[in-house]
Amino acid sequence: MEVSNGEEGMSMVVMGRYGVLYTKPRPKSAETSPRVIDMRSDTVTRPTEEMRVAMFEAEVGDDVFGEDPTVAELEKKAAELLGKEAGLFVASGTMGNLAAMMSHCWSRGEEVLAGDQSHVVLFEQGGAAQIGNFFLRTVRNLPDGTLDLEELRSKLQPEGKVAGDPHKTMTRLIVVENTHNMMGGRVIRPEYMDRLAELIRGLGIRIHVDGARLFNAATALGLPPAELVKHADSVTICLSKGLSAPAGSVLVGTAHFISRARRVRKSLGGGMRQVGVLAAPGIIALEKMSQRLEIDHNMAKFLGRGLVSMSDLGVDLDLEAVETNIVFFGLQRSDMTAEDFVARLEKEGVANGDRVIVKMLPARVASGEVKVRAVLNHHVTHQGVECALIRIREILANRGGRKRKQET
Amino acid sequence: MRSAMATAEVGDDVFGEDPSINELQERSAALLGKEAGLLTSSGTMSNLIATLAWSNHGDEIIMGTEAHMFWNESAGQAALGGVQTRLVPNDSQGRINPDDVAAAIRPSGNLHFPRTSMICLENTHNRCSGGVLTPEDTKSVGDVAHAAGVPVHLDGARIFNASVALEVPPAELARDVDDLSFCLSKSLSCPVGSVLVGSQDFIDNAKRWRKMLGGGMRQAGVLAAAGLVALDTMIDRLAEDHQHAKRLAAGLANIDGLTVDPESIQTNIVFFEVDEDLGTAADLIAALNRNGVLVSYPGKQSIRMVTHRHISPEDIEEALSRTSAAVRELRSAA
Repeated sequence: MEVSNGEEGMSMVVMGRYGVLYTKPRPKSAETSPRVIDMRSDTVTRPTEEMRVAMFEAEVGDDVFGEDPTVAELEKKAAELLGKEAGLFVASGTMGNLAAMMSHCWSRGEEVLAGDQSHVVLFEQGGAAQIGNFFLRTVRNLPDGTLDLEELRSKLQPEGKVAGDPHKTMTRLIVVENTHNMMGGRVIRPEYMDRLAELIRGLGIRIHVDGARLFNAATALGLPPAELVKHADSVTICLSKGLSAPAGSVLVGTAHFISRARRVRKSLGGGMRQVGVLAAPGIIALEKMSQRLEIDHNMAKFLGRGLVSMSDLGVDLDLEAVETNIVFFGLQRSDMTAEDFVARLEKEGVANGDRVIVKMLPARVASGEVKVRAVLNHHVTHQGVECALIRIREILANRGGRKRKQET
Repeated sequence: MRSAMATAEVGDDVFGEDPSINELQERSAALLGKEAGLLTSSGTMSNLIATLAWSNHGDEIIMGTEAHMFWNESAGQAALGGVQTRLVPNDSQGRINPDDVAAAIRPSGNLHFPRTSMICLENTHNRCSGGVLTPEDTKSVGDVAHAAGVPVHLDGARIFNASVALEVPPAELARDVDDLSFCLSKSLSCPVGSVLVGSQDFIDNAKRWRKMLGGGMRQAGVLAAAGLVALDTMIDRLAEDHQHAKRLAAGLANIDGLTVDPESIQTNIVFFEVDEDLGTAADLIAALNRNGVLVSYPGKQSIRMVTHRHISPEDIEEALSRTSAAVRELRSAA
């Protein structure tokens, strides 16, 4: 396959098995529109040039018949990387988590324990109950993202203990989220997983890791991802977040579990056909994009340091808590809520002579306080963070009146 | 399509920001005379979303005895949607009788009875040999349903085959139904996906259900871009697939030991029966596979062949001669 890099602003031409691919030149107008610094999420990441070429070239087949070689390759690679037997490509992390929980809770009367601030509880629309037909019970998430082990211990209802008691659901699965989104992109360490595994040993209870951002955790710890999930019976990883593939996630587990999950996925409507076109960028995501996440973490710390320097303007942030690519900060202002701030930030402004639009999201945290969340991703460069900080300072310094919330 | 996918303008569709998806959804809705559209990952997902959107747990939905939603969607309507499926007979063309539908719709006010939440039609009809419902057929069921206040969902996986076979605009086939799904990944040849269309309210609701099922994809404009190419270039050519299917059926009818009525073939699907004295469908399929012909849907005695853009007229003749060979193999073995 021949690749020629055109000059700045010209088309790139690729010649391959399926003919010639011309990429569109960047339209002139793009150079004169404001620069968007989008920190709403890492899901906004667009596929790289290499991924686009891979989509063009992907070998495909009907995956419902098991005949798509590219998705088969992706599933195998993901499983190997995570130390599991088999993998299953799914349309989203939500589908991966739902299919996993449904595949573990195969009989009536079973329950899943998950963190009260976890994605499966807060942001998957109650699919566990509505679609999966099993009980989802919560355990408190501690600020470090872990599940409170003492509370967990007290809530366990292993089948061996409660089978004779028709009042009680049987605990079948515990879901751990790594990194933990709402607690601030926190990293769950292998030592914690060891203690959790020890707690449930011999009780017939399994562990599913919602590893939407598992590679961020692995990068932060400098460990292979398999090490973080060695006690997990199943794991979901997202390709479409920091890893920047256009869509999809991969669920991994034992071969038996995955064959069950494949059935569940079909019933949810996730049986896609020539899905190699999505799997091809997914492979690049796994192999290449997983290696650059440290940059996002450094950008997050850079943003965090800048925010901490604005504590006199009401910014409330514990820099120690910024472990990966997510930054949550509070605004102690009587004149401006987090929602106001985000709305003002999203209006076009000027920083370093450039027109910029900075995007973040408000988020209600466990305490009920609404904070601001910024998620670093490959589109947000050092310069982008600089501009964002300039805009933030401008907005916070601009408004008159009391800078700090009145202590009551 | 590969070019379009690789160069597609994309954005995060969960934020509604993927321009390729937005364009596909708008164009699909317009083509079918509906207000809005929604890209989903499969026809199964579209059909399940329709059930979830129209029904509550414990409702009853009505469809034909041969419906794909009943046979091949892993009982998702019951397992995940919490509804009971009530069947009424399909005729050989895939139609259901409006009188049967009227009789099956539950009267309200009786504690014993579930509520009828949705009637489902299928056009073209897969298990009925790709049979076509005309606008009149559709209206006759639609009228009965709407008179009782019940919405109609059309499983239009192959609606464009129907439109081309009848030479009517697809919007006419959609006029008397409340929502419709069509597949991008079948004869339209896109890699993945289905589009659900209906009123704005219905689609807003459908979006929630899609997310719950895990169908909220991000930069799926790469898939939508292929869909846009399909809407432009892959519909008219379906007429060729239909011609090939008719020729195939005529050829199969001439093979001793196989039964099919070539007159009944309207689109790109051919079901034929294997005479019992020859063997079972499974026996013939094994022989066909040995001869390099891949087919599907073995009923005990029935086999399905489907034509599409990778099957040329030469392939049809080749398939016929290899099928003859396979039949001869079976005969000599018997």
